[in-house]
Amino acid sequence: MNKTASIPAVAVKKKRTQSLDSRKAMAGWWFVLPFVLGFVLLYAPMIVDSIRFSFNEISTTVGGGYTLDFVGWKNYSDALFSDANYVRILIASIRQLVLDIPAIVIFSLFMAVVLNQKMLGRAVFRAIFFIPVILTTGIIDSIDQGNTMMSYMGSGGIDTGNQIGGSSTQIINTLDITKFLGSMQVGTELVSYVVMVVNNIFDIVNRSGVQMLIFLAGLQSISPSIYESCTMEGASAWETFWKITFPMISPMIMVNAIYTVIDSFTSKSNAVMTYIDRIYEEPKGNVLSSAMSWLYFLVVILIIALVAGIMSMYVFYQKKD
Amino acid sequence: MNSSVTKSVKTVKKGKQSAKNDSEIPWLKRMSLKVFSFNFLQKVVWVIFRTVLLVGISYIILFPFFSKISASFMSTADFVDVTVKLIPKYPTLDTYKYIIVENQYFKALWNTATLSLLVAFMQTMVTALIGYGFAKFRFRGRGLLFVAVILTMVVPHQTIMLSMFMKFRYFDIYGIFKLVCWIFKQPLPNLLNTYWPLVLLSITGLAFKNGLYIFIFRQFYKGVPDELEEAAYVDGSGIFRTYFRIIFPLTIPMMVTIFMFAFSWQWTDNFYTTLFFTTSGPHMLPNIVTIPPSLQVSFAASDLYNSAITNTAGLLIIIPLFVIFLFAQNSLVEGVERSGIVG
Repeated sequence: MNKTASIPAVAVKKKRTQSLDSRKAMAGWWFVLPFVLGFVLLYAPMIVDSIRFSFNEISTTVGGGYTLDFVGWKNYSDALFSDANYVRILIASIRQLVLDIPAIVIFSLFMAVVLNQKMLGRAVFRAIFFIPVILTTGIIDSIDQGNTMMSYMGSGGIDTGNQIGGSSTQIINTLDITKFLGSMQVGTELVSYVVMVVNNIFDIVNRSGVQMLIFLAGLQSISPSIYESCTMEGASAWETFWKITFPMISPMIMVNAIYTVIDSFTSKSNAVMTYIDRIYEEPKGNVLSSAMSWLYFLVVILIIALVAGIMSMYVFYQKKD
Repeated sequence: MNSSVTKSVKTVKKGKQSAKNDSEIPWLKRMSLKVFSFNFLQKVVWVIFRTVLLVGISYIILFPFFSKISASFMSTADFVDVTVKLIPKYPTLDTYKYIIVENQYFKALWNTATLSLLVAFMQTMVTALIGYGFAKFRFRGRGLLFVAVILTMVVPHQTIMLSMFMKFRYFDIYGIFKLVCWIFKQPLPNLLNTYWPLVLLSITGLAFKNGLYIFIFRQFYKGVPDELEEAAYVDGSGIFRTYFRIIFPLTIPMMVTIFMFAFSWQWTDNFYTTLFFTTSGPHMLPNIVTIPPSLQVSFAASDLYNSAITNTAGLLIIIPLFVIFLFAQNSLVEGVERSGIVG
């Protein structure tokens, strides 16, 4: 509204006629202004501070404010070499993540394909699958960490063999899976991977809600006429999936893989995050935790770059006409 | 499930009839019968498999809630009794009663509800504006700015936890506040235990998952045809007027979705609330997750009992959310689907 007044003023000041397009483009700044202000005034200083803190010892002063003592790389070397648990937890959590990405992406793609089909009670199933996104976050997530009651009750109905209360509420037994896959002779690595996935099924289902929605949106954007022509040519459902759905959804697979990395790295239930939180609470631990989380951030960026780099080689983009 | 089965039965019947009509070619008949019965079998197997899978996974999702609900009604005697599994023998409402009374549930509910409403409303409005700016205007530096958005998404909160705390404990923007405070001989403003930190983060689109909202809105607005705005510009409408009169009403379903996300994630948030609100601050929902004094007992299964109490507190936290979700889930799920996140 007030834009009409300010645009000519800009044009006069520059003493140069601007086209309608570039004037309109300038107005874009007004829309993103809140973010620019927030980023420049709040976020960027916080980032810089955080990097600065990680090279310093911090102590609050009585007169309001804090003082910093430069200690160089001490916090970083402390995190990497002196702290007994950090590197171990970091490596374990990265390993866990590398194993989790395929499980979450494949699971959410499969469930999205299933939920995209016309069937009875589809709305109900979709609502149920969406519950974790809304309800199992934040405080509920942290209550669920190390939940004595849930392990007593048998969380997710899978008997892992180490429960207090016996296996009366379980539907699947880990030993059964191992036996079943063992008889198929597919290699011990695959068996242990599948067993791990099945053990963590509760976790994986909880973490694939948003991914499922992204895949659902992707599936619905594929033109039905492509499927129609495939059916006319006599392609089976299996072939249609691999030749049409999979390439068309491949950009979404990349988005979801990256989202999964970000989501699990920044989530509260992440082991490294929990550890950093704990270090933060310790005396003199706040700067150490800053150093730790910057190291962690570098690793995250590296993994995202790796995932994006590898996947973008195989992603198929439909040429838009 | 039933309908698809009967449908496939019908197709099989049709197949048999058509095969009978072509009875002079037995080979074709055999083939068509084979194809149709194979299709039928495949379909039935798939429908059964699908139903079992969906029901099974729904069970996995819902079971924790069932067990939490059942445990919330259990008394201490039930936890000692090994024969009690899901249905309590000595049901009691004490757990609920003491959490509500002694942990001041309703006070926390009111505080969290007002804060979540305020913050979610601001986040929705602001991220919609920012998303529109990124989607429709090709201004200089847009790419770089979007990288900044991605950065806010990727940097874990824990990384800036300390500096965020310090920032709002001794609030200062590039020394301006320091100067003003030095002139007036005042200490730097302490914004902890107020709603200001969250409000400031929300109106600048920096709060929890706001990068994701900006991204979703950007993709949504990219799907809105430019002709709509062009028609408005031709008719002499300014850019802001066009946005608020023409584009904004189109966005409302998407906004409901984002509002739900922002609201529920703020509702259950315990990162910012524990960071910005100390024990003397406003009483928020995460604060009720403690063992109320009247329920502090020690007996054989007290670990289990305490865990059941915290889980009951968790249930009390999500009950209001669940009620909202029940009413809004349709628009929520469909909003995300229609958003065209795919772009």
